[in-house]
Amino acid sequence: MTTVSSTPHSAGTSEGPSRPQTGNPGPGGRQRKRKSLNTPRWSIASLIVISFFTVAPLLAVVVLAFSPADEPTIPYALPTSLTFENITRIFSVGAFPTWLLNSVLYSVISVVVVLLTASMAAYALARKRFPGRNILLWSIIATLMVPVQATLIPTFILIANLDGVNTIWGLILPTLANGQAVFLIRQFILDLPEELFDAARIDGSGEWRTFVSIVLPLIRPVLATLAIFVFLWHWNDLLWPLVVGQTDEARTLTVGLATLNTELVSTSNIMAAALISFIPCLLIFLFLQRQIVSSITSSGVKG
Amino acid sequence: MSTHLASKRSQPGQARLRREAVTGILFVLPTLIIFAVFKFLPIGGAGAMSLTQYRLNGDVEFLGAENYERLFADPNFWQSLGVTLGYVVIFVPLIIVISLAGAVLLNNLKRHDGLFRSLLFIPYLSSFVLAGIIFKWIFSNDGPINVALAGAGLGAIPFLSGDQWIVLLSLAMVAVWKGFGYSMLIFLAGLKAQPGEIHEAAKIDGATSWQTFRHITLPLLKPVTFFVLVIETIVGFQVFDTVYVMTGGGPANASHSLIYFLYDQGFEFFDFGYAAAIGIVLFFIVLVLSLVQRRFFNEKA
Repeated sequence: MTTVSSTPHSAGTSEGPSRPQTGNPGPGGRQRKRKSLNTPRWSIASLIVISFFTVAPLLAVVVLAFSPADEPTIPYALPTSLTFENITRIFSVGAFPTWLLNSVLYSVISVVVVLLTASMAAYALARKRFPGRNILLWSIIATLMVPVQATLIPTFILIANLDGVNTIWGLILPTLANGQAVFLIRQFILDLPEELFDAARIDGSGEWRTFVSIVLPLIRPVLATLAIFVFLWHWNDLLWPLVVGQTDEARTLTVGLATLNTELVSTSNIMAAALISFIPCLLIFLFLQRQIVSSITSSGVKG
Repeated sequence: MSTHLASKRSQPGQARLRREAVTGILFVLPTLIIFAVFKFLPIGGAGAMSLTQYRLNGDVEFLGAENYERLFADPNFWQSLGVTLGYVVIFVPLIIVISLAGAVLLNNLKRHDGLFRSLLFIPYLSSFVLAGIIFKWIFSNDGPINVALAGAGLGAIPFLSGDQWIVLLSLAMVAVWKGFGYSMLIFLAGLKAQPGEIHEAAKIDGATSWQTFRHITLPLLKPVTFFVLVIETIVGFQVFDTVYVMTGGGPANASHSLIYFLYDQGFEFFDFGYAAAIGIVLFFIVLVLSLVQRRFFNEKA
């Protein structure tokens, strides 16, 4: 077979597994086909096409958000002028500033409280022996198998009984029980060398000081990862904020956005609101993209 | 210093053990309280509530299995389950093929892979609501796609108003757009972990790229694919946000998914016990999927 006899030669000219094999014309048609499939040019062309589909809708939001509301959007020429009118208009529509504030509170408070309480619990569950430890650990891990929608109704009734409907704390409290955070931080602490904790103990450091000055700095990578994901989950969450915040004053931005689809507001107004809702997520990504990528591929965090 | 350490370790003593236990309990206490009230209680409550008639004013009447009997005899329940299954059947293969293709393409790159990875991942940052709003505009009758089709002298595609499969496909495409970046990164990690020698050896033996992919890359990727399959199936069963924003369950219940059914029963009709029973059904679906996945991974490991 000609293909087989020629391959050692071609393998010799290219080291990498998917390097393009220019300058070495293969004899068989099969061989030629393989080379064309392997060229990065082919991959890059495909990736450019896919990138267009991922980015174009978001670019459309940006363009529409800055287009005059009365400008005919058909047949999709670029706008003749750009305006900030939609942005200023949307801040005066309904309770938009309140929605924005609620989203910030819901996301930021949750991140801080979840990270602190889950770190404390994870440290104790990984390094301290106390009665009931294993039962608690497995109960928390078991909650990961329960989808939030399955407990939506009883959680709502609970919050209603505590008079938490349409309040920011009623929104935040149930989401502070984050099993994934406890689980991931505990796994991370288990991988740290025991000696670090022993050393702190022997130096006579108190437990709280050990936690704050030894444990928290050591687990910073997993905390950064979780901060990103807890923020994104809360910022983008719909169902729970939708049922617990039923008045305009209690809505988050995502819920507000979902309910904004009325004739009162034009498409370009809605896109302005949509753009504002996306900016924090984009900023987090731009600053921390390496962290996000490595954390997904290593731990499989899923929102 | 080392003898000090050894002595401290060799005689832990009752006092030290007790101190350790006290510290442990104090450190888990906040989490324990939060989980007890807002996780364990609602989980137990979901099972209990599903056996009752629970009214807005707090009146509770024990029904036994009546909610479940009613549920399994309710054509709307089977309709919503059918919609959800149809959606899952479209969504899961679509997102797996596209995220795998994206991962393979990124894995081929020698340069610019960071840039393209970011460009492909960006929609994952958005909410389903944001994705729904954008695509509701893109899919609308005077949206860019249908305007372009009209310009080419073709008829409009009724993305969100056509028959059930078109609507479910449209919703699935939005979720794929929003979500495939995540699965793509999982696949990419799986590809990068594959030993290069096997691929090299196949190449030396004269295998084409497709043969190498089909008989070496893909089989080696099987555990990763299974992981993504289960995760995305669970995500598919939970479809709600895009339905809420884009179709409201329509046209004529064509996209009335299981969670939308739960939401309606709970917060349109305030039939809390019945809605809780739907939640329990979802829980069992997800539980079975999780157990299948766990079993598969234990066998592999």
